[in-house]
Amino acid sequence: MSEKFYALLLRLYPAQFREDYGEEALRLFRDRFEDERGFLPRLRLWFDLICDFTVSIPREYLRPASPRAAARTSAVYPGLYVIELEPLRFSALLSGGVVTVFAVGIVYAALISQAQAIGAKKYSGGLAGDGNKPGIHERARLNSDSGSRAGASAGALSSGTDTSANANLEGAPKNANAVVAKGARLDDAERQRVIAAASIELRKHYVNRDAAPLIADALLMHERRGDYDNVTDAVAFAGLVTRQMREISADQHLSLDYFDEPFAEQQPRTPAEEMAQYRTLMKQQNCTFEKVEILPGNTGYLKINSFPDVAVCEGKAVAAMKTLNHADAVIFDLRDNRGGEPKMVQRMAAYLFDHPEYWYNPRENTTERSWTKSPVPGNLLADKPVYILTSSQTFSGAEQFCYDLKMLKRATLIGETTAGASHAGVFHRIDDHFGIGIPEVKAINPYSENDWTGVGVEPDVKVKSSDALGTAEKLALAKLFRPGA
Amino acid sequence: MPKRKLEPLPSAAFQILLALAGEELHGYAIMRQVEEQTDGKMRLGPGTLYSSIQSLLEAGLIEEREIRNETKHDARNGEDRRRFYRLTSAGRKLAVSEAERLADLLRVARAKKILRGRYV
Repeated sequence: MSEKFYALLLRLYPAQFREDYGEEALRLFRDRFEDERGFLPRLRLWFDLICDFTVSIPREYLRPASPRAAARTSAVYPGLYVIELEPLRFSALLSGGVVTVFAVGIVYAALISQAQAIGAKKYSGGLAGDGNKPGIHERARLNSDSGSRAGASAGALSSGTDTSANANLEGAPKNANAVVAKGARLDDAERQRVIAAASIELRKHYVNRDAAPLIADALLMHERRGDYDNVTDAVAFAGLVTRQMREISADQHLSLDYFDEPFAEQQPRTPAEEMAQYRTLMKQQNCTFEKVEILPGNTGYLKINSFPDVAVCEGKAVAAMKTLNHADAVIFDLRDNRGGEPKMVQRMAAYLFDHPEYWYNPRENTTERSWTKSPVPGNLLADKPVYILTSSQTFSGAEQFCYDLKMLKRATLIGETTAGASHAGVFHRIDDHFGIGIPEVKAINPYSENDWTGVGVEPDVKVKSSDALGTAEKLALAKLFRPGA
Repeated sequence: MPKRKLEPLPSAAFQILLALAGEELHGYAIMRQVEEQTDGKMRLGPGTLYSSIQSLLEAGLIEEREIRNETKHDARNGEDRRRFYRLTSAGRKLAVSEAERLADLLRVARAKKILRGRYV
């Protein structure tokens, strides 16, 4: 009420002033209003404001307009023309530079975050930055990467037989010329169709049966209420719906994804081609095993940026662990690890135990395969101290590695709280451009009811991710010299 | 440049320069800092504050910094972002010369013994 009144009074100022400082002035008022409570302080506040208006309104109207505009031109935005004859001051160029860098930064950040929003799962196989177009291959990878649902990977990457996602990827009726064109402006009909389809898929497939109808209804309600009417950009729309689904579920694998390239164009590729492409990619990237080395003090260091498919990369994993076999401590650097195959996660963990250990995997129901194949013949690392470096980008399968080893008290986590993505969404095609990732399995967690979904794995030692390696090295050395510590 | 407008330096403008001598601040923090350094005698209203800031900006005595979040206030205000200001070297120079001018005045006042018995 008071704020509205003050906003009204602000209209007394010249338009230029309102444009430049109206918002700031209003905020200042808001801050004071909140800080100065009680009758007298409020009275004093309004008295101050009246004085302020009397003094500053005339002054603003008397302010000569031209030097100000000129000052703005030269001091803030270095342009191609100069109103004044004086050369631009260095500080003007500097501030112009700062503003430009800042603006470019914002645009860049916005692009990146959008790319991540639609591609979060794409990266989970450590495929980030490979420059590949998002194709069916990667979409198929999503499912197998993030986990689990073997069949979801179009049969190419594992021997599973679940065909639900398959059907959705390949068998669903194609809207050959979907309403969405490249570069994507959405209209009402398209949004309505996507929301309707998403709601149906959620109700049908989402593992959290209580939340499924809530989310579906919420999306429909938003749609009916016209909340999406102004969201004409496809990427923004997918992002918004994803946020809304996650708000209710706190489930990061739940997502509406938009792909610029229509799925239909990429249909012809066969599973064999998929696999071949994946093999090539992994070969180029050394299976995302970025670095394997022995640090001073005989500490083993492994930087691995995904947990790739065992069928393709097992050899690399075995070789890496062999390199580290004689180390006195091991540091796993998962700061850039966006997740991957649960099988590989479990395979790597097997080296850290001398007996089969139950390995919690939120993406699969518990079976006899849920135990690590420990001990690994010839392996010497089962009783060596383990450190895991984490960042807020440590994602999905990498978080499983962190979470399980932390719960088993087998590793010391150093760095930042991880991203908080757990059970994988199975991809369901909605049309040529939209798909929805829906988790379909939830396993029983022996440690506590909540795993890292939505909250991440807390490190044991909280440091900035950039400082994590140094900290781990120090801890490892300290432990070597004082084994009891 | 319209520097002339700030000669002599209005007291609000000088106070703002002094407030920014320590660190870069946003509008509300400037207002609080000025209030504190004048023992509550000067509370700049939004109009006076931003009008002075505009003049100081035009004169190149302060500059706007990139807008950034400030945890304490912004936790309260959601995702608000604020403009921060800081002294330029010209602003610092002017603040120093203004302080010296006042110090000279003070010396005269002392000499004339109009401040009898008070420690200033």
